[in-house]
Amino acid sequence: MKKIMICCTFLSLLFCVGLFGKEEIDDLAMVMAVGVDKAENGEIWVTAQVVRPADARGDAGVGGTEGDPIWTATGEGKTIFEAIRNLARFSSRRIYWGHNAIIVISEEVARDGIVDVIDFFTRNNELRMRTWIVVTEKKANEVVAVKTGLEVIPGRSLDRLFRYSPIVAEAPRTDVMSLSASYIGEHVHPYLAMVRLRSRGVDPENPKEFGSIPQIELSGIAVFRDDQMVGRLNPRESRGFLWFVEDVGNAIIPLSCPDEEGPVSVELRDNRFQLTPNYKNGKVSFIATVETVTDLVELGCPTELEHSEVMEDLESDVAAYIKKDIEVMLEKVQKEFKVDAIKLGRAFQAKYPQYWNDLKDDWDEIFPEIEVKVNVKVELNNPQLLENPTRKGKD
Amino acid sequence: MDLTKQLEQDVFVRLKQNLDEIEKLLGNSSDVVKRDFFIMNNNTFEATLIYIDGLVDETKIEETVLAPLLNNNRDLQFLSELTKSEEIATALTKKLLLIPSINKVSTFQDVINELLAGNTVLFVDHCVQCFVLATQGWDTRGIEEPQSDTVIRGPRDGFVESIRANTALVRRRIRDPMFRLQSLQIGKRSKTDVAIAYIDGVVREGLVDEVLERLNRIKIDAILESNYIEEFIDDAPNSPFMTVQGSERPDKIAAGIYEGKVAIFVDNTPFVLLVPTHFWTFLNTSDDYYTQYWMGSFFRFIRYIAFIISLTLPSLFVMLVSFHQEMIPTPLAITIAAGREIVPLPILLEALIMELAFELMREAGLRMPKQIGQAVSIVGSLIIGQAAVEAGLVSPIMVIVVATTGIASFAIPNYFASVSIRLIRFPILIASGVLGLLGFATIFVVVLIHALSLRSFGEPYLAPVFPFSSSDQKDTLFRAPWWAKEKRPADVKDEPERESENQKPSPEK
Repeated sequence: MKKIMICCTFLSLLFCVGLFGKEEIDDLAMVMAVGVDKAENGEIWVTAQVVRPADARGDAGVGGTEGDPIWTATGEGKTIFEAIRNLARFSSRRIYWGHNAIIVISEEVARDGIVDVIDFFTRNNELRMRTWIVVTEKKANEVVAVKTGLEVIPGRSLDRLFRYSPIVAEAPRTDVMSLSASYIGEHVHPYLAMVRLRSRGVDPENPKEFGSIPQIELSGIAVFRDDQMVGRLNPRESRGFLWFVEDVGNAIIPLSCPDEEGPVSVELRDNRFQLTPNYKNGKVSFIATVETVTDLVELGCPTELEHSEVMEDLESDVAAYIKKDIEVMLEKVQKEFKVDAIKLGRAFQAKYPQYWNDLKDDWDEIFPEIEVKVNVKVELNNPQLLENPTRKGKD
Repeated sequence: MDLTKQLEQDVFVRLKQNLDEIEKLLGNSSDVVKRDFFIMNNNTFEATLIYIDGLVDETKIEETVLAPLLNNNRDLQFLSELTKSEEIATALTKKLLLIPSINKVSTFQDVINELLAGNTVLFVDHCVQCFVLATQGWDTRGIEEPQSDTVIRGPRDGFVESIRANTALVRRRIRDPMFRLQSLQIGKRSKTDVAIAYIDGVVREGLVDEVLERLNRIKIDAILESNYIEEFIDDAPNSPFMTVQGSERPDKIAAGIYEGKVAIFVDNTPFVLLVPTHFWTFLNTSDDYYTQYWMGSFFRFIRYIAFIISLTLPSLFVMLVSFHQEMIPTPLAITIAAGREIVPLPILLEALIMELAFELMREAGLRMPKQIGQAVSIVGSLIIGQAAVEAGLVSPIMVIVVATTGIASFAIPNYFASVSIRLIRFPILIASGVLGLLGFATIFVVVLIHALSLRSFGEPYLAPVFPFSSSDQKDTLFRAPWWAKEKRPADVKDEPERESENQKPSPEK
C-alpha cells in the first residue's frame, strides 16, 4: 500500500511539473535571419525574418494558402534585447532563435562597434555559434526582408550562399564562433564577410525591368579594429585575403591569351599556402608561398600553338595575378587599416614564441611595417576534355 | 463419506459394489459408458468395461478387448478351474487380452484418474484388482504450419494440442540416449500433463531440479494453457519483460534443448516453454540459422533496428518537437511545423491518440474473423492515414512516425515480446512528452536498470551482452557461420564443444 502511495505521488508530481519548459514547434516563430540597424536617434532596430511554415511548405499535406513564406518585422529599443522583446508586441508566436541562419549587421552599426552584438548573440542560449554573421553596407533590414536565392525561405538561401562560397572565393565564411574567437584573441582583429543587394534577379514576366529584382551577393570583407569596422576589401582583395585565413577553394582567374586577343579562364584546383615568419636583426618579415595546381577551363583564342605550349605562358600570368591579389590586399590591410586581421602575429608567435613576448605589445605598430614577400608557384596541368585548342577547320 | 475417503478406498471384490461406487463418484455423467458381459460366455466370470465416450478409441476396444474375451470358440476349460483372483488376473493379462498396454490398479483414486485420462477400466467379478487398458484416442488437429514464428526457409511443422505428439516432434530431432523426458501432472482438477525435456549432460547442473521444484510448487485447480505455468515459474512476475519463452516451433525448442535449456511441454496447448530465456532470443528467428550467415546476420541487424525504433521513435519525435526544436535540422523543423500548423492537439496527445488508434486497429483486426479483419485494417488505415490528416486532426509526420513504429514492432518475430516492448513504449512516450530529454532518459534508464536486474532461472537476462561474454558474440548481434560456432553458449557447463574445429570449407592444399 505504501509503495502504491509513493508511486502515485511521483506520478502526480510528474504531471504537476508537467510541460514545464514545453513549447511546441508550432508555437514558435522560427527566425531565419536577423538584421541589426541603428536608427537616427541612436536606437537599435532588430529586424527578424520569421518563417511561416504553412506557406513555406504549401504542399506538406495540410492546405495553406500560397502566401508569403516569410514574415518580417522590426522591433526597436535601446538595447538589442529590448528591441527583440519589442518584436514580441506584434509576433503571435514566441521568437525562437534556434534555427537562425545568419546575422546581418549594417555598416553603420559595425563602424560604431559590435561588442554588444557579439555579447548578446554568444550569451543567448538559443543561438548557435555556427550562425553566419555578415556586414552589409546599407540597411540590414533591407537585406533581411528581401527575397533572394532559390530556397523558399531567403534565410536558407543566405545559409547556402556560404556553403558554396568557396566556388567564388570572394568572401570568408564568418560565423559567431570565429568572430568571438578573433575578438577575444590577443593581437588579432576580426573580419566579417560582406553582402550587398544588387539588382540582378530576373522576372521573366516583366522583361522591361530585366535584372531589376534585388538579390544578395557576397561582396568582400569588412575588417575590424577590435569591435569597430575600419574598412572593407573589394572582392579581388578579398581573394588575396582568403589565402591567409581559409582556403581559396575553386576560384577562377580571368586572363587574356598570351599573344593574341581572347579570354582565358583558369580554375584553381589544389591550393597550398604557407606563411613563413623570419626574425633577423630585430626585423620581422614574412614569406608567403602559394602553390597551386590549376585547370585550364576556357581558352578563347584561335592560337596555332598546342595546349602544352600555351599553358607554359599562362602559368606565369596566373602567378602574377595571384601575386597582385595578395600584394594589393597587403597594401590596404597594412598601410591603410593597420590591423592584423590576417593573423601574421599568430604565425610569428607559433614560430618564435621566445621573441613574441617582447614584440606583442608593440605588434600594432610593427604590423604595418612588416615586409611580406610573396612567392607564387603555379602548375597549370589540365586542359580537361580537349586535346588541342578549339580552331576553325577551314584552312 | 467425503470424496477423498471414497477415493482412497481399495476396489471391492464384488463387481456390483464396484459399479455402485463408480456411479457414486462420477455421478450419472452421460458420457460414461458401461459394457457388461461374461468372459467367454462363461456365467461365472461376469465383467464390466467402463470408459468415457469420446476419449477412447472404440475400434481398439472392440478388436483388442471385446473380441478375444467374447470369443467362445477357444478352449475355455482352464477358466472354470480358476478360483483365486490372482489366477484370474494372470490368465486375463497373459492369455486373453490383446491390448499392448495393461496396468493393474487397486484404489478408486487410480481407477478414476485413468478413466478420466481416456483409458478403459475392466472390472471382473471376484477379482481384487481392476485392469486399466490403454485405449486413449481422441480427435486432434493435424500437424500444421505454426501461425506465429513463421519462416521462409525451415521446417513447417508446428506443435499441436496433444502433448504426446509434441514430445514426439522434438524427440524426432534429438535421437540422443541422454535426451530425458520427465512427466508430471499439474492442476488439482484438470490434472494437466506437463513434461520437461532436456539432454542430460548438456543441461546446466541444477537447472532441471530448479525447474521441477518450481513446477511442483504450483497448486492450482486447472492449467489450460502454458501461460498459467509461465506466470507461476516466472522470475520477474511483475515485469513487462518475459523471462520464459514460448514457441510453436519444434525446431526452435530442439535447438534450445541442444543449447542446454529445458523445455516444458503442457498438454492441450501448442505453445511449449523454454527456460532459461535471454532477452535477445526474442529478436532471433529460426530463419537466421537456416539461411546463409550474411543474410541471417543482416535480418537480425534489421530486427535490432526495428526493436530500437519500436521502443523509442514516437518518444524521440515528441521530445524533439515539444522541447528540443533546436535539435531538428532546419528544413525538417519547418516541415514539421507546417504539418502541425492546423492540428488542434498538443503533440503528446496527438501521439497518444494515434498510438491508441493503431492499437485499436491491430486488436480489431486480430479478433475479427479473417475476412472481416482485412476490411477493418483497410478502413482503419484510410481513416487514420488519410482522412485524419486531411481533416487536420493529426499531422502527416505523426502518421509516418506511428506507422513506422507499428511496422517496426511487427518486425519483432515473437509477438508477445513485441507487445511487451509496446507496453514499455507508453511510459517512455509520456515521460518524454512531459519532461523532454530528461524524462526520456530517466524512464529509459529505469527500464534498462530493471532489465539488467532480471534473471531467468539463474541466467542474467541481458546476457551475453551484459555481462559480456566474448565467445557468445558469435550468435548475438551477428550470426556467425555454423563452422565457426564451435562452442555451445557459455552457460552450458558439462559439454561445451558443439562441433570439431577447423571445418571451414576450403580447397584441399
